[in-house]
Parts: sequence; C-alpha cells; structure tokens
Amino acid sequence: MNEVRRLAAAYVGLLALLALTVASAFVDLGGFNSAANLAIAAAKAALIAVLFMQLPRQGVLPRLVVVAVALWLAILFALTLAG
Amino acid sequence: MSGAVESEAFRDAERERQADAFGRWIFIGSEAMLFGAVMLVYLTARMAHPEGFGEASSRLSLLLGTVNTAVLITSSLAMALADLLVKLGRRRAAAWALAATALLGLAFLAVKGVEYADEVREGLAPVLGLPFAFEGADPRGAQLFFELYFASTGLHAAHLIGGLAAIATVLATWRRSTDAACLRRTRAVGLYWHFVDIVWVFLFPLLYLVHR
Repeated sequence: MNEVRRLAAAYVGLLALLALTVASAFVDLGGFNSAANLAIAAAKAALIAVLFMQLPRQGVLPRLVVVAVALWLAILFALTLAG
Repeated sequence: MSGAVESEAFRDAERERQADAFGRWIFIGSEAMLFGAVMLVYLTARMAHPEGFGEASSRLSLLLGTVNTAVLITSSLAMALADLLVKLGRRRAAAWALAATALLGLAFLAVKGVEYADEVREGLAPVLGLPFAFEGADPRGAQLFFELYFASTGLHAAHLIGGLAAIATVLATWRRSTDAACLRRTRAVGLYWHFVDIVWVFLFPLLYLVHR
C-alpha cells in the first residue's frame, strides 16, 4: 500500500540520518561538525513534518503558522546571535 | 468527515475541522517558540564556553542518546500508523498502534532515567542541590552545560509525559467514541507527539555531539 510505503520510507530515512549524524561525530570536519549536525537535524525535522505530520496536506492556515513560527524564530536567533 | 458539527459556533463541519487544525498548529507553534528560546539560550552559553561545553558533552552517553533517538523515531512511526489505521476504519489495530507508541515513549523515559541516574552518580547533576564536581579546563562552562542539559531534556521529558497522558485519555474513551472522534483525537495527539519527536531531533546533536 502506498501510504505504508511512504511511512516506511520516512522511517528508514530518519534512521539513516541518525546513523549519519552519529558517524559524523567521529570525523573531524574542521569546524563544520556542528553545522553538519544541525543540517541533518533540519532534514530529519522536515521528514517528520512532511511525511508524519502531513504538513503539505494541511490547509493554508497550518502552513501559515509554520511560516510565521519560522520567521519569528529567525528574527529571535538572528538578533540574538548578531548582538 | 460527517456533516454534524460538535460546537454550534461553526456553520459547517468543514469550518470546524479547519478551526480545529488551525488551533492545534498554533499551539504547536507556541511550543516551538518555547523550545526555540531554550535552544537559543543554550547556543549563546555554548559560544561563551566552547571548551567547557565540549568537555561536558563528551561525558554524556552517546550510546544511550542514540538508542533513545531511535526509540522516539520508532514511536513516531507507530503514531503515524495509528493515524493511518483509524482512517482505514481499523479501530482495533489503531488502538494497538497507539499503545505501542505509548510503550516506546515509556521506554524513552526509562532510558533517560538511567542516564540521569548515571549523571547524578558521577556528580554531574547541578540541579536540586545535588553535588557537582567537574575536573577540566572550564568547570564553570561544564556546569552551565549540565544545567542547560537538565533544563532542556527535563522540559522535553515533561512534554513526553504530557503526550503519554493524552494517549492514555484517548485510549480510555476509545470504545465509546465515534469513528470521527477517534480520528480527530488521534490526529491531535499525533501532531503533538511528532512535534515532541522533532524537539528531540534537535536536542540530540546539540547536547550529545558537541565535540568528540
């Protein structure tokens, strides 16, 4: 069934990304380890949001909430870390 | 979706469904702001104490942290399956999937408890007046790391316990509820559960993979 395959793909993808992020901890990426780990975390979050929370299937309002939260978090982080 | 509305505030069921979804996502959004702020505090402290945070992070159990991440990801899969099964009208199987989600959540908390106990035994828990001692180049930074470690993972664990309570409530009323109500509740608790999973997905590398 299509739906089950979609969930299984998300699960395998998430475990693969977990393996990747743990493996990256044992390799020195010359200061880019943290950036790589956060990029992998963002990819995992996107997988969960799209395939488990079904964000693309939501109406316009939930998607608006996600954009608004991303915007406010970006302002919060940018102003704090720039200061 | 059946035609009847639950609240007379809504003109039709579709309006009510959209309002439900909007409210749930706003709640998730406010939770994201809360955890975002906690992570920002952590990041600024870490930039001030890179060495202390690196040393302190390497004292955490990477093995248990990794196992717990896998456990939580699996629980999210079980939750997504529960959602799918209710949608297909397989209420009984869906209830088992919800129970599996809750059991995996309990397993996560159990592993976290083992980690906390280890850290208390090693004198790495500067909380609740427990003794804290750290040998290293930057003990003050290490203490800050562990304070933020317990604050953020404790806040996350509290949310997970809330999720467990929500699943228990949904299951307790499962047999007496209509298909539509089961679907709506599974969806609501599922959204929250996946969000708590996403929080951990960020906490794990921030806390466990600082510097090795």
